[in-house]
Amino acid sequence: MAQLNLQHLDKIYDNNVQAVYDFNLDVADGELIVLVGPSGCGKSTTLRMVAGLEDISAGHLLLDGRDITRAPAKDRDMAMVFQNYALYGHMTIYENMAFSLTLRHEDKNVIHKKVLAAAEILGLTEQLNKKPSQLSGGQRQRVAMGRSIVRNPKVFLFDEPLSNLDAKLRGATRREILLLHKRLGATMLYVTHDQTEALTLADRIVCMSMGHVQQIGTPLELYDRPDNIFVASFIGLPPMNMFDVLFVDGKLRGKGFEVALSDEQKHTLRHHYGLELVLGVRPEDISLGDDISMLVSTNENLGMNTLVHGQMGTSGERVTAKLRGWCSFTGGDLARVKITKMHFFDKDTTRAIRQEDR
Amino acid sequence: MNEERSIEVDRMRFTKNTQSSRMAILAIVFNVLYFISIYKSDVGNYYYTALIGISIVYNLVFMLLTFLCSEGVKNYKRGFSWAMIALGIMQIVRIFIIPAKMHGTVIEKGAQTVLHILNYHIPATMDVAVMGLGQFILVVVLLILSALCLFRGAAVNFKKSRALADHIANLNMQL
Repeated sequence: MAQLNLQHLDKIYDNNVQAVYDFNLDVADGELIVLVGPSGCGKSTTLRMVAGLEDISAGHLLLDGRDITRAPAKDRDMAMVFQNYALYGHMTIYENMAFSLTLRHEDKNVIHKKVLAAAEILGLTEQLNKKPSQLSGGQRQRVAMGRSIVRNPKVFLFDEPLSNLDAKLRGATRREILLLHKRLGATMLYVTHDQTEALTLADRIVCMSMGHVQQIGTPLELYDRPDNIFVASFIGLPPMNMFDVLFVDGKLRGKGFEVALSDEQKHTLRHHYGLELVLGVRPEDISLGDDISMLVSTNENLGMNTLVHGQMGTSGERVTAKLRGWCSFTGGDLARVKITKMHFFDKDTTRAIRQEDR
Repeated sequence: MNEERSIEVDRMRFTKNTQSSRMAILAIVFNVLYFISIYKSDVGNYYYTALIGISIVYNLVFMLLTFLCSEGVKNYKRGFSWAMIALGIMQIVRIFIIPAKMHGTVIEKGAQTVLHILNYHIPATMDVAVMGLGQFILVVVLLILSALCLFRGAAVNFKKSRALADHIANLNMQL
């Protein structure tokens, strides 16, 4: 497998639209990196630049130390799995999986061994004589993966491979991809706009917005220590609650509520005394307590948890709380809650304010 | 059976018998070439007989059956090999019907024949061979090639389908 280095990559289209700005990433051997972000953030463009399907406007791309910035796609030793599977409808699954090797005029017996091995890994042995139209979406996506596996590429590239699948199948196929990664120990770049996929699959996540990298880190780092308001709002479901607050008298004062801070939190915010900042609270960091009133508007029971939507105080900002267990609030109820964990962001720069900023 | 051969046979579980299938298609091609090679334009209404009518219908039937055989042998179905052999024998038999009958037959063409010599148009009477030696050899070769393709395709399919059947039986026993 392989190490991949993306150094200061830019993508500027002919009409002068810049899709990717100064993208830097070092992918270790066997690492699974997920590029995540909303539509149009440049994640697929970045992947296509790595694959060689888009020209790199500036910067360098290195594979195992070899500069492949200008190398054609066929010479990059990478395999890409597309969202729409890209299978040949008139060929059987066996022929589809063998196709790329047949084009390279590999020995037929060698191709056969590779196809059977890949089919075994993906549980497709019984389907080899079928046509793609006879398979389910998940199976077709596995065939697309199998076609990549037989090539034994240095890097696997996935461009939203699960987007065409229904929710149940998506979960199952996601687990299969994870198992596949563990089994092959392959270097993988995976693009998705689904943060659940990103959090469950990735060794590291690259969160992008408007062509810029917002944060690179492990799923836990992005969830627990987001660098800015964008990452904080994008990662996590339901998204983090954001409140405009004023830091005065050792408290955070927002519209319709006040939160007392610990000494440590006061110390963290000591340079922001008297200033407006943004308080971020994850729905799961709100629990039943006695600190703040919350005017309930709707109550969604999910079984193990309950999503309670409402307002801080009686006329404050919108808030969503994810409470453990089964709750039975009705619209107009006044719930008493407490905040167990807070994230602070500079209102002007949108960057996180943390302990180390002291 | 060595490993390479074993993989080769195992491969047949997922690949078509294109060799036999292509042989059948080639037989059709040779048959078409035969069919368009038997006619000559200067023998008047010589061909307007029931025999030619039957021959045309048989050509259509032959092409249909051979195409079906090509699809059958593609999937290693042994029965289609027998059909291909039968069709091949028929191609050989056909040599002794139209080509043999027409080779050596001479018809007399009357005044409607015109010789063009130095801008003079001279009405003439002459004998015309329905199928000369060159044409006869050509159509016979085409029919033989068509038959050989069918025999070869059938033989390959016999061999492959037997090997595949044995292999699958082995696999089933191992299971």
